[in-house]
Amino acid sequence: MLRVRKIQQHTVLKLIQCFTLQRRQTSLHHAVGAVQWLSRNRPAPLLTAAPVRAIVDEPISIKGQFLPPYSPVTLCARLHCEDGDLWEAFAHYNTKADGTVNLTRDHSVGGSYLGCEPMGLFWGLRPYGEREGPRLRKKNIETSYVVHISLWDGHVSPSERPSTELAAVTAERWFMAPGVRRIEIRQNGIVGTLFLPPGPGLFPAMLDLWGVGGGLPEYRSALFASRGYASLSLAYMKHIDLPGPFHCLTVGDSYFKSAFQLLQEHHQVCADRVGIIGLSYGVYLTLRIATQFGVKPSCLICVNGPAVNIMKSTGGDSRTQDSDSDPQYWTYDHQGYVTFKEVSRLHNICPGSRLKLENITCPLMYILGEDDLNTSSVESVNLIEETLRAAGKSHLFTCLSYPGAGHLIEPPYTPLARTSLWRVKPIKMMVAWGGHVSPHAAAQEDAWRNIQEFMENNLRQ
Amino acid sequence: MSQAAAPPVLCVAPSRALVDEKITVLVENLPPGSPVTVRSHHHSDDQDDWEAYAHYVSDHRGVVSVSDDMSFGGTYSGVEPMGLLWSLRPVPGSRTGLRLRKKNVCTPLLFHISVHSGHEGFRERPPLASALIERWYVAPGVQRIDVSERGVRGTLFLPPGPGPFPGVLDMWGGGGGLHEYRAALLACHGYVALALEYFKPGELKSTDLEYSYFETAFNLIQEHPRVMADRVGILGLSLGSSLALSLAAESKTVQPRACICIGSNHCSGRSLSGSPMVLITNPEGMRVDENNHHIWRDMALSILEDESKLVDVGKMSCPLMVVNGADDQNWPSTEMADDITRRMRAAGKEHLLTRLEYPDAGHLIEPPFSPHFRATNFMVPGRQKVILLWGGQTKPHSDAQEDSWRKILSFLQQHLYGNQCPKAKL
Repeated sequence: MLRVRKIQQHTVLKLIQCFTLQRRQTSLHHAVGAVQWLSRNRPAPLLTAAPVRAIVDEPISIKGQFLPPYSPVTLCARLHCEDGDLWEAFAHYNTKADGTVNLTRDHSVGGSYLGCEPMGLFWGLRPYGEREGPRLRKKNIETSYVVHISLWDGHVSPSERPSTELAAVTAERWFMAPGVRRIEIRQNGIVGTLFLPPGPGLFPAMLDLWGVGGGLPEYRSALFASRGYASLSLAYMKHIDLPGPFHCLTVGDSYFKSAFQLLQEHHQVCADRVGIIGLSYGVYLTLRIATQFGVKPSCLICVNGPAVNIMKSTGGDSRTQDSDSDPQYWTYDHQGYVTFKEVSRLHNICPGSRLKLENITCPLMYILGEDDLNTSSVESVNLIEETLRAAGKSHLFTCLSYPGAGHLIEPPYTPLARTSLWRVKPIKMMVAWGGHVSPHAAAQEDAWRNIQEFMENNLRQ
Repeated sequence: MSQAAAPPVLCVAPSRALVDEKITVLVENLPPGSPVTVRSHHHSDDQDDWEAYAHYVSDHRGVVSVSDDMSFGGTYSGVEPMGLLWSLRPVPGSRTGLRLRKKNVCTPLLFHISVHSGHEGFRERPPLASALIERWYVAPGVQRIDVSERGVRGTLFLPPGPGPFPGVLDMWGGGGGLHEYRAALLACHGYVALALEYFKPGELKSTDLEYSYFETAFNLIQEHPRVMADRVGILGLSLGSSLALSLAAESKTVQPRACICIGSNHCSGRSLSGSPMVLITNPEGMRVDENNHHIWRDMALSILEDESKLVDVGKMSCPLMVVNGADDQNWPSTEMADDITRRMRAAGKEHLLTRLEYPDAGHLIEPPFSPHFRATNFMVPGRQKVILLWGGQTKPHSDAQEDSWRKILSFLQQHLYGNQCPKAKL
């Protein structure tokens, strides 16, 4: 059995040599380089990643050793997401005199990113599948992403694959730390998932709200729980367990108030240390909960969302007849991608849909992406800031503004979705979120650090 | 705004680590200057409970940092970043003579780390905060393969990637059985490692193992398509150390690139049925301590006077690392290591030798941060159980495990990955 495998290995080497006659010039160089590498009397270079099992917001250190000095190498990361799509990133490096490459020290000179970017292989991942406009969003957060990191001879791109992989290491990226408990909430009409840190508590807590894409994204709450906060991801639209038409916002003010109180009343939560985080439309909901229901959150975090209601509501609360904002304000770029930015322009909103922002009584941090193509975030920020200043509450307001960052400022080291598939019916629509890869990645990393610090200061002190 | 005081926060990182990686343990939001106890608890696969604990006092910011602060007592004292792991011992009321050895290396060791208020009687109070950590013998991507080929029994661990890799033959001692954890850990560091089983516990006398069994095992590693045949080393502990030296010095077919012996033992392993284990029936030299634990070290001293019972280590042609504890009560490893040194010097081979002798360390020098076992249950031939005294004091033994592992990895890397020839001694 072992001898048969050995013959196959020799055959593979011979095949590589044959292939050199048919490859392009650059590939010929790389393939020959690989054969030369294999025929040297050396073991393969050693590629390490530490820690090899990490939480998604933890940076890791990737190193290669026992390489020839001053040599071109390529680092590549591959991940298969739950939908089966392949995501890849790669970067070109030159080894140092001691034959090492170290992503926390060295500069990429080509590929998915440039410069010294220890986590570039993660936030630089791009989709290579058939599916149009995918986003990398983990549905089952009880399992990890498995990332295959490999080292190749020369400066190559993954699609070429002319030479042999020299070394590899497998890294796991987890949203949940060991001991974090995931609890499905389906009570009092509330649809959500509660994450509790290990231990007796009492824990400070966060109510976690996303945008009108709907469903129940759990990964941010799972991360909060991994950092010691109880966190409730709340579904309010486009979830099978919610009442009424799937595409409408059918739950009203009492729903959101109940969700906040459920968190406060949990026996392992400090009732007076509960904050709210919202992204996109979740920002409007965050501000609405903070100003209209008589509840007292300890802090508010708003990421790229409107301070006014962009949906056509029925009655006096947040319910809508349909999920769409007003199509007259949809704009299309030269590629046919829709941007919803005009929808939230203040001059397009009727005055009756404004909130009493002056009623805010707790610190508020607004995370703003300056290339947000989805929401008129700058106007929202100005509105909040002016209203609070007029009410003598400027000291409550902080804004972090990131040039080059788009709408979807997500947990760190996750890839940017500048555009994605919005819907397929009645017609297929691709939406533009904005953001440029490198500044957006920097924004996510810095914003997350600031979010942790803000939560620490307002929920733990 | 007025709020009730925030509860203490316990942060242990990394929450998932390899067993030879360090952790930091930080407690925050305590009242300043308050006495607390930090405890770790492990429920083993054998259903035993192990714990370690230490008494601390928070600083003016209400912080306890296990890496930086002094423990005032418990299962360890002083500034000991990893004390919550290496000072682990069976909880009061446990069975006697226990040893903690992971059989299933594909699942992690789970530790509950908790913070309790006060020092005395801390167990009576519920924890203020707790965390769960995982410690793994295998990294993701490491493959585990059962080996049963050409009569050889064991488990092979392959690192991820195409290779080719250097290899290691990993052998344990006279307790027998198949222990995978050290080989698994070596695979995490880039070696194809074969954990070899060469007899079942308690069956040594009835086993008629031939020398060729070990040569075949070594060859199996060499012939693996992902192994570089001329870069295979041998790592042996106790009886495994004797086998390693026999192979390295006297085999005609096996030429290891490097050899590591823990619990220096250069008794001739040529025929196991004539091995030192037969000394058990010889009461001369066997002592017991005040707890009736067997001390075997003196029984083997007479071997040093009989050339025919010793491996001719002067014939070694590969680098050799000899690791032993000076408080080894099971084997006269200091005297044996002295003899190995003399013989190699006489043969002009001293430049090949690296010797690490650790004061107050015992016989079982295991991977780092493992608990120390001064005496444990052991099955002797005839399947009788005794308690053997291994020796060592916990703190120096743990230091020896940490230091020796680092040096073992560095030695393997230098000789199996690198291209250097051993330098002449100063």
